[in-house]
Amino acid sequence: MARKSTLIQKDKHPSTQSSEPLINVSDVVKSFKTAGEDFFALNGITFNVYPGEFLGIIGKSGAGKTTLVNMITGVDHLTSGQVSVNTNNRKVSIHHFNEDQLALWRGQNMGVVYQSFQLLPMLSLLENIMLPMDLCGNYSPSQSREKAYELLRMVELEDHAKKLPKFISGGQQQRVSIARALANDPPIIIADEPTGSLDSITADHVFGVFETLKNQGRTILMVTHDKSLSPRFTRTLVIQDGELAHDSQTEAM
Amino acid sequence: MMRPRWRKVFHDLINNLSRTLLVVFSIAVGVFSIGVIVGAYVIISNDMSQSYSSNHPANVELRTGPFDDSLVSTIQNVRGVNDAEGRTVLSLRARIKGTENWQTLNIIAIEDYSDININLLNIDEGTNQPNNKEAVIERKVLQDMQVKVGQTLELQLENGTIKELPVVGIVQDASTAAGDFIANPFVYITVNTLPYLNEEPLFNRLYVTLAENENDNTHLQTMLTVIRDKTEQSGVSVFHSRFAKTNEHPMASTVQAILGILLALGILILFLSSSLIANTLNALLNQHLRYIGIMKLVGASRNQVLQMYMVLILSFCLIALGIAVPLGGQGAYGLAAFIADQINFALMGYRIVPLALIVQIVVGLAVPLMAGFIPVLNGSKISVVRALSDNQMLEENKPEQVEIKKETFVEKISLRFTKLLSKRNIHIPRPLLISFRNTFRRKGRLILTLFTLTMAGAIFIAVFNVRVTLFDYLDGIADYFMADVTLDFDQPYRVKDITNRVMAIPGVADIEGWAYASAEAINLDESLAENITILAPPSDSTMVTPNLIAGRWLIPGDEKALALSEQIYEDFPDLQPGDKIRIKIYGKKEEWTVVGIFKFVPQEGTFAYGTYEYISKITHQNNRSFSYRIMLENHDKKNQKAMGVVIDDYFQNAGYNVDQVRTGDSTLKSASESLDILITFLLIMAILTAIVGSMGLTGTMGMNVLERTREIGVMRSIGAVDRAIMQTVIIEGMAIGGISWLMGAILSVPITYLLSDIVSLAVFESPIQVIFTTTGFLIWFLVVLILSALASLFPARNAASLTIREVLAYE
Ligand SMILES: Nc1ncnc2c1ncn2[C@@H]1O[C@H](COP(=O)(O)OP(=O)(O)OP(=O)(O)O)[C@@H](O)[C@H]1O
Ligand SMILES: [Mg+2]
Repeated sequence: MARKSTLIQKDKHPSTQSSEPLINVSDVVKSFKTAGEDFFALNGITFNVYPGEFLGIIGKSGAGKTTLVNMITGVDHLTSGQVSVNTNNRKVSIHHFNEDQLALWRGQNMGVVYQSFQLLPMLSLLENIMLPMDLCGNYSPSQSREKAYELLRMVELEDHAKKLPKFISGGQQQRVSIARALANDPPIIIADEPTGSLDSITADHVFGVFETLKNQGRTILMVTHDKSLSPRFTRTLVIQDGELAHDSQTEAM
Repeated sequence: MMRPRWRKVFHDLINNLSRTLLVVFSIAVGVFSIGVIVGAYVIISNDMSQSYSSNHPANVELRTGPFDDSLVSTIQNVRGVNDAEGRTVLSLRARIKGTENWQTLNIIAIEDYSDININLLNIDEGTNQPNNKEAVIERKVLQDMQVKVGQTLELQLENGTIKELPVVGIVQDASTAAGDFIANPFVYITVNTLPYLNEEPLFNRLYVTLAENENDNTHLQTMLTVIRDKTEQSGVSVFHSRFAKTNEHPMASTVQAILGILLALGILILFLSSSLIANTLNALLNQHLRYIGIMKLVGASRNQVLQMYMVLILSFCLIALGIAVPLGGQGAYGLAAFIADQINFALMGYRIVPLALIVQIVVGLAVPLMAGFIPVLNGSKISVVRALSDNQMLEENKPEQVEIKKETFVEKISLRFTKLLSKRNIHIPRPLLISFRNTFRRKGRLILTLFTLTMAGAIFIAVFNVRVTLFDYLDGIADYFMADVTLDFDQPYRVKDITNRVMAIPGVADIEGWAYASAEAINLDESLAENITILAPPSDSTMVTPNLIAGRWLIPGDEKALALSEQIYEDFPDLQPGDKIRIKIYGKKEEWTVVGIFKFVPQEGTFAYGTYEYISKITHQNNRSFSYRIMLENHDKKNQKAMGVVIDDYFQNAGYNVDQVRTGDSTLKSASESLDILITFLLIMAILTAIVGSMGLTGTMGMNVLERTREIGVMRSIGAVDRAIMQTVIIEGMAIGGISWLMGAILSVPITYLLSDIVSLAVFESPIQVIFTTTGFLIWFLVVLILSALASLFPARNAASLTIREVLAYE
């Protein structure tokens, strides 16, 4: 198609690190009620994410990585602290939203990718990608269709557009879920171990997709427990027992 | 191009076909039953009176001594009379030429068939206008005799000769003897045929229609008095008179009562089907929590989710309506036609009943949408983390609540129980244990399923109890007709003579000669209140066992004394034993004492008992009788029939004028007919509830299996064979069935009382004694076990056919 990539605006998110943080995580605490005492999965975590960063969140199993990501995407409530996000010149404290406001805001500002893909099994790949556009109402049906094709092309799956998720491989499904995360053209992509259930070659391919996105200027937060990936991020945070144990940025300073 | 979210709804609808069918059928069953009942209700209440009145039923009917056209003209000229017709009614024994069985039929002779304006005859087959020496039969004849148009009827005259009449048509006469189950079937001939049958061409029935106010009781009564007086002034004696409204079928109130009961049951079925819908939708939402989570993750608001699932439910509704509305319309007409056939009136033709249509649509939309709203609302509220995490169960976890793993009460009990058993060296097989634990796992669903099955069972059992209750009641009624054989003559014979002859026949135990009389109860203003048929057995009779509800039975020496059937309460609701009642008997107006009131089946007119000694005196038949009751040594039906033939032949050969010989059960048959209709409907409803119940179970088992796919995979991977897996599922289903039986059996007791009270108050005037039978309990036990085994068979086969690969691919 002649209009290739016109809808993915490469220069919208300049990769220069301005002083204004995109995401501000401030003293976030998350405790879970258990049969005995409350369990603190996050113990006061504070950090900033700047536009254009490819941030790796690294930690052992049970360290609190997923919990942290859930605080940033707002899919779970925090116990105390604050997460504010500044996109499109609008700074919002996401935990002050009600659920519907948050869902709409997230649909437009954050693409979320999970380890287990989370595609709707009854929809084709194309429809899965169109779904966020349909729900957030930013695009007309024909526009969203065109854009979904474009995104599928980007993840090299346009030939499979009409297939159901169960008929493609895990790596392919994960690429579809990345494409879906990009549907509403959000400035922020958050991925929780997106390569966790893939073999190393496929994982590498999927990771490559994220690097491409980074190069297009998107801000990406990715959780992994694979330390060897550290060099490929622009910055890494290490989480340990619900606390921020290491931040490569402060180190550099 | 469909938007993705609607595409998802569409896929949910068509991808899981068995689930869609289950939901659709649960909705459809409720919509269907309510549609059938409301439709039949409307059709019957409308057509029964409309078709009845369209046949120009007589408003006044007199049974009289012989008269001719001059009386008819006199009555036609009475002010307020629309038309009057004279007819002749006589009863003769008839059979199809070439067959053996005699049947007593009422022959009606009409002068001019081309000019009938009262009690019209609708053609079923052939013609409704017989020529001389031809016969047209009423369709009721076909119940006892398979006559066809073109065959010949043989009539036996009083002198024993046989005359032939070819049958040229079959008609329906919805007016003459409407609601009188005891009347003999009719055959129509011309008046000119009467001499051929050795009868005078004179009338003995006068039918009159009124010109105005023909639905006003007071006016009808006044006109009846006028017409009767006119008739008597002309020198014609009146034996019996009645009046009837034009727009009200005599059976209307009974039928309305039956339909009312059906309506109540229909609402119950609807209720059950809605619990089924709630159950299924709840499970559906449970399975869909993950998808809801995903949609919310990518930007869906709660309203969007709500909308999608409400549209899904709406689609289920529309499909269900598409199936149930046309079927319900057909069913309604079928039910109406069945009732119409039983009561003997014609429907006005197939049509769509707007009210039923509206009720079906409202019910078919409102019930599922309401039943689904709560689960959908809960589902749409779920937070994304909860939805995406693994063990979300809508009904068991309240949002943000800790799940503390503890053994449930049932688990504790079962654990203790199994330990106890194993101490005694009794080992319950593993699969059985798993089954029982599964049964109690999903409490909400279990409760709804149990509720449905329990109600179904309770109604099923109750219907059987009510059936026995009614039959027992009829048996009680039969005590009034306890004779094995009833022998009626065309003329009175000396009781002593007949007694000696009958007692000489081997196998006869006893005989009584009874007297009969017709009387009219009259109000203070001389108007007719009620026709009374008086049976007069000897005062020491052993052949009547009355079921008294007030006062005493007749004793020797009673004069001007009556025991009346409870029907009398309709006209004299405050009547007490010992009260006097004004009656007109044999042309004289007298005051008689009511000594007692007894139970009886409802019918036109009131039954009463007097003493033979007194009644035969005033009818001038001392020591003579038309009618004899005979007791046999052996009471079984076969013997009754055989002895009936023996006695018939004996008296025919001896030259007596036998009118008819009836055996015990044939008398009862007519009385039980109206109750049979009722019981048939109740059984249909019971079966419908059973179907709804088992559908509920199938659904539940299907859902249980679906949710346990992973577990089944694990069982399989540790070596469980198909049979073991199927067994656990089927045993689980049967366990639910068994529990529901127990609860249904308990619940059936109050429901039996309720149903029997409703039925007896509707059909009779007072409640009747409830009888319980084990039949219903046993049948339902078997039915529920078989149904639950069948209901779980399909899900069980599904479970067994899951391969490990499929199980792991699930999600
Ligand atoms: N809903 C919950 N209730 C109680 N405890 C929880 C809950 N969710 C997480 N936890 C606990 O919080 C801690 C952090 O969990 P989290 O899922 O964030 O770890 P993670 O770093 O993502 O681990 P992994 O690499 O295995 O995904 C763990 O100890 C976990 O058991
Ligand atoms: Mg995690």
